Amino acid sequence: MTNGHDPKSGRTRAALWGGAGCAAAVAALLVSLPWAAHDRLPDRLATHWSGGDTPDGSAPLWAASLFPAGVWLLIALAVSVRWRRSWPAVRPWRLIALAPLATLLVGAQASIVRANLDRTDWHEAREPALDVVLILVPAVIAGVVAWRWSTRPTPTPVTAAPELNLPEGERLVWFSRAANPWLQLTAALAGLVSVGALVALAVGLSGSAALWLVCAACGVTALAGAVFSSAQAKVSEAGLEVSFGPLGWPVRRWSPAAIESARAEHRLPSQVGGWGYRLSGLGTTVMLRAGDCLVVRPRGRRTDFAVSVDDAERGASLLNALLRRA
Amino acid sequence: MLLRLDKSDTRPLHEQVAAAIRRAVAEGECRAGDRLPSARDLSTALDINVNTVLRGLRELRDEGLLEFRRGRGITVAEGADGRSGLQIRVRELIAEASRLGYSRTDLIEMIRGTT
Repeated sequence: MTNGHDPKSGRTRAALWGGAGCAAAVAALLVSLPWAAHDRLPDRLATHWSGGDTPDGSAPLWAASLFPAGVWLLIALAVSVRWRRSWPAVRPWRLIALAPLATLLVGAQASIVRANLDRTDWHEAREPALDVVLILVPAVIAGVVAWRWSTRPTPTPVTAAPELNLPEGERLVWFSRAANPWLQLTAALAGLVSVGALVALAVGLSGSAALWLVCAACGVTALAGAVFSSAQAKVSEAGLEVSFGPLGWPVRRWSPAAIESARAEHRLPSQVGGWGYRLSGLGTTVMLRAGDCLVVRPRGRRTDFAVSVDDAERGASLLNALLRRA
Repeated sequence: MLLRLDKSDTRPLHEQVAAAIRRAVAEGECRAGDRLPSARDLSTALDINVNTVLRGLRELRDEGLLEFRRGRGITVAEGADGRSGLQIRVRELIAEASRLGYSRTDLIEMIRGTT
């Protein structure tokens, strides 16, 4: 019935058009850079150097101007497609991926034009060694700026955090754990492959470098899988302690004074980018299974730490009660 | 699971640990087959010596509430929730009897005499 303008959808639309405009502007810049200087460029442009002074790849002017723009538009489109509606974690990564890429492509295009400027043949084009640095440094800076900008502090939820009634003179502790049997199985299989490869190398069945690589890769997978396939959380008067793996190591600890607030939240692996120890737009998440997560906001930090453990609601409420008392 | 310990309780600490776990099992905090936190974890969280915690855990094992398994740690035994509630009430009965001047033998006689 109401014809009112929804501010949220308006903002989303503005962001959408802004993003599309920026992508189009970058594409236009990539196309126009060689065209702007086409009077002073050879027919074919040197476009590739393999470390040496002399170029080993060339392209006609139209290809040199259209190809980077095409690559840019393709990647920008692929990253911007909303694969699923419930992917808030991906959104900041778009900017973090696209900003350095745009800087890199524009820098490379400018460098190619500069190298070919006033040459009669593409073989004469020389790549100034400093250009690589001049391209990479702004790209890194763009990445850092995009990261700082897009991981702005997430607003704290407006709903009141649950708080447990903590009777005076009573000591309460809360334990919880969660494990992912699939990750454990993966770790075990990777460990077996790694040990097998190591034995094969040790007895001299094969000495190839590929086998060393398999051994190392599977070893790292097994170790990471074993460590981040289970987690134990403990809330006591000393604060929150989250330990990983069967040995309870590594451990992360927060004293009550170091925590701003705690809450329980329902999270899915698709929201945080998969299983295991995940960094995403929602902060750090130790995702072992979909469902209840204990989420804490460390004091003075911009993002949350979450761990998927059972009975997170009561853990959060006990933690909040301890925070108030501290 | 949530464990409660009364700081003003004057009973020996190992009994308090056992009572806290007994209560947790009776209230359904942990179900049969669930793994308990390790004695070391319980000890640091409750701020009680690890040997005292182990003594409390062994008492619960002797009552049939817990099972100690090599490699699997300490788990809650099958049917422990019902047993645990009964154990709590038996202890309350003994305490009440001793307050009224009856010994354990008197209680046993009373239970025998009850048809």
